[in-house]
Parts: sequence; C-alpha cells; structure tokens
Amino acid sequence: MSDRIKALYKTHILEKAKDQTHVGELANATHVVEAYNPLCGDQFKLYLKVEEGFVKKLKFSGYGCSISKASTAVLADKLQGSSIDDFNAIWAEFSELVNEDSNQKPEDISKDEYLLAFAAAREFPERKTCATLGWQALADAVIK
Amino acid sequence: MDSAASTQKPQSVIDAITNFYSHSYASTGRGSYWPANESTIKYEGVRNQLKRFINAQSEKEIIFTSGTTDSINKVANSFLRPQLKNGDRVIVTQMEHHSNYLPWQQVCVERGAELVVTPLTQSGTLDLDSLKTELTKGAQILAVTAVSNVLGTQNHIKSIVEMAHEYDVPVLVDAAQSVAHAPIDVQDWNCDFLAFSAHKCYGPTGVGVLYGKQKWIEQMQPANYGGGMVQQVGERSSSYRLLPYKHEAGTPNVAGGIGLGATLDFIQNVGFENIGNHEKELTTYALNRLAELDFVSVYGATANRAAVIAFNVTDVHPHDLSTFLNERGICIRAGHHCAQPLMQWLNVPATARASFGIYNTKTDVDELMNGLKAAYEFFV
Repeated sequence: MSDRIKALYKTHILEKAKDQTHVGELANATHVVEAYNPLCGDQFKLYLKVEEGFVKKLKFSGYGCSISKASTAVLADKLQGSSIDDFNAIWAEFSELVNEDSNQKPEDISKDEYLLAFAAAREFPERKTCATLGWQALADAVIK
Repeated sequence: MDSAASTQKPQSVIDAITNFYSHSYASTGRGSYWPANESTIKYEGVRNQLKRFINAQSEKEIIFTSGTTDSINKVANSFLRPQLKNGDRVIVTQMEHHSNYLPWQQVCVERGAELVVTPLTQSGTLDLDSLKTELTKGAQILAVTAVSNVLGTQNHIKSIVEMAHEYDVPVLVDAAQSVAHAPIDVQDWNCDFLAFSAHKCYGPTGVGVLYGKQKWIEQMQPANYGGGMVQQVGERSSSYRLLPYKHEAGTPNVAGGIGLGATLDFIQNVGFENIGNHEKELTTYALNRLAELDFVSVYGATANRAAVIAFNVTDVHPHDLSTFLNERGICIRAGHHCAQPLMQWLNVPATARASFGIYNTKTDVDELMNGLKAAYEFFV
C-alpha cells in the first residue's frame, strides 16, 4: 500500500465515510441544501434545522465517494449546535487545510484530528472538490 | 487503460507535427511561397487519405472540424435547425454520449420539436423494434453511435440506416468510439453524416472530420463565416466557395490535419485486422478475468463487445477506486463518461471504466485485477 494512499484514506476518513450518525433526512428541516458535483455525479442533500441562528440538527443523504461522505459527516459533527458565524470560521479553516497552495502547515491551522485528516487532499488536487462538496454547497447557501 | 477517452500518440504522428512546425510551416490555400504551397498540398492530401479511409465518394464530402462534437453541432445547427418545425421529431438513443445528445436536445427545445430517445434492451443493445416504431412515425434525423463509450455495444449501422431510410429519415453516425477499432465504409453503411475525432484514433487533439453526403452538405448553410470560405465578398451580400470549403471558415488546424494524415498511415500500417484481433482477445480476457471477481459487476453485454468495459466494485465508489489504482500506476476512468442518460438507464450515478488500445496487453489486465482485489480489501 502506498503511503500517499494511506495518508489520503486515513483511518479517520474511512471511519467517517461509514459513519451513519448523521445520514438520513429531516422531516422538519428549515433549510435544505443541495450539493452536486457535475464532474463525477456525487450528490448530497443537506437537511438543517436552524433555530435562532443555531444549527440544532444536520442530516444528509445521497451518493458520494469516501472522501465526500466523510467530509460531509465531519461537517455535520462540527455544525451541530453551532451558529452561522461558527460555520464561517470553521469553513475558512477547512478550505485552508485542503488548499494545495497554502503556505500554512495543516497543524498550524487546526488541532482537530478529524479536520486535519483532510489535509492529505493537498496531495490530490483532483480530489479537493470531493473534500469540499458539502461544505462548499453550504457556504454558497449561507452567502445567498 | 483509458483509450476510449483519448489515445496515446505514436512517434510517427508526433514527428509529422514537429517536422511541419520546424521545417515547412505555413497556412493553407493563402500564399504563393513554397511553404504555403507545400502546406496546401499536404493538407489536401490528408483530405484525400480520409476519403479513402472512410470510402467516401468524393473529397468534397470531407469537412475538417475540431472534433466529433464540432461535427455534430454543425449538422444540428446548420442542417437540422433551418428545417426543424414545431412538432417535428428527432431520434437519438439511450446510449449516446452527451456530444451526440445535447446538440439535438438544444435545437429541439428551441424549435418546439420532440426529442425521442430510443430505449435499450436488457443486455444493453439498441431496441430495434422500438426504433422501428419510432421511425414509422417519421423524424427529421436519427443520430446514433456506432459504439457505446460505456457499454461497448457495437450497433449494426448498415441495417439501422437501411431501416431509417425506409421511412426517409437521414442518419448521422457518431463514429468517435469506432474509428480506432474497425474500418468505416460510409458508402456501404449508406449513412448521411458521420463524425469522428483524430485524438481517439492515435491522432492529435483539436482535429476531426465531418462526412456528409454531397446532396446534404451542399444545401447545408455554413455554421461559421470568415476567411477562406468566400468566393466574393460584397458590402451587402457575398458568395461562398464550393464544397467542402464553404464549411471550413478560418485558418484551419493545419498541423492537426497533417498529424491526422500520419495517424491514418499508422493505422493502415498496423491494419484493422491486427487491431481487431488484438483488442478482441484482450477484451475477452478482461471480461473472463473480471467474471472471477464476485465483487465486480460489469455493465452491458459480454458478446460482441468493443474494447471498453464499464464496471463497479461493490461498496467502492469509482473515484476512490481510480485514485487507489492510480497509485499503482493503473489509469482507468471513473464517472458518468459524458453519458448521463445511460447512467440513468443503468440506475447508477457513476461507474469505473477500463478501455483498451493497441498498446495494452494482458499484463495490464492482470495488474488491473490485482489492483481491484487490493482496493476491495482496503475499502470494504
């Protein structure tokens, strides 16, 4: 097994790709966001229940690769109970972590090992859109 | 193992292009100095080669384009659009690449015409009974691929054309996936239009061919207007050159054309019989080896299959698979292969795909098998 592959599919990523905690739909969602990558056909729906500016619950359903599933699962973990401002801050961190042109070391950006796992995407720029699929869709929706 | 997307180039093709740029570069049909004359002679020589390669009646029927997509768009916009009326019908099939689907869909939407999608049989071949039923209702054109870029289905073009002509429906054949693998004979097939790209048959990118029966491309309006295609330009109206030049506005891709000439020489030197035998043996070998793996599902029929195999590994996303295989030096394609209508029919968002060219060997297939086993172990 090559080290690069091991790094990309760290245990954290394979674990989160299989994690069913946030998989499903929310009947009483206040916001539904679609994440779609036309290049590969990966597609998720994010269901958010937002109350007084805080995300009470986030579930997602759809189809995607290990990396997009894992990153969306981590997004759901991080967002539970957070405000939109919290999301903006963590999204800024996450996009810097996966940015192959960043001059910051991943460890200097975040201490969270689940977020750090995605820094391996720096070595695989063609997989960056997988890592950011759910995040980017939510960021776009927040801007709107 | 991604020759269905684009092939590698033989040295002879690379040399032909390099020599042209290094030693005798000029545009065609425009100068009276020696490199310009030589360019024109070479470029027009390729047109003659192409005429023989696909057995066209005349060089007038050979139009240089930038590729299959460009060729099909020209027919959709300049042949079909002016005659298409509200309520008319255009027939395509469920197995078309987006480039032989979207140009038709777009012009149908604009004109209020109906786009009819011919279904497939369970095994992934064209449902000829349904096609016949649709043809009896009439259509302005039928657009069909010679070979599916996903299922590897090889359509029997000659009999499809015969069936369409019974109902006076002209046929465009997308030969992008067949040109590198089997001979084309437009007179025997009797098709009305045919399109292919050089880059899928060991040639350069950015050059392709549109063949059209003279009676059609004569009446077809130019898709583009500009230099090189005019007879006389007046302030308010102009006249255009005869075939094929009226369809070739602008400075042509001369180097691409010359590269394509070297490509045709290369294919003819190897010979379609050798190409066919090699690819058939390799495809059969790969299908048999894939059948050994119970965690692999192959899409499409096993019999009479071109050198392209779409498949999935249970519980492994095709992109994870291709990234994993890439680290072992194995290049396969993952995704929807620009055939989303077919993906919907298969009821999968994406597949992996291995496709072969003349340079692939059984060792490549063996490496792929080892890679698939390792990937399954790693992910599942």
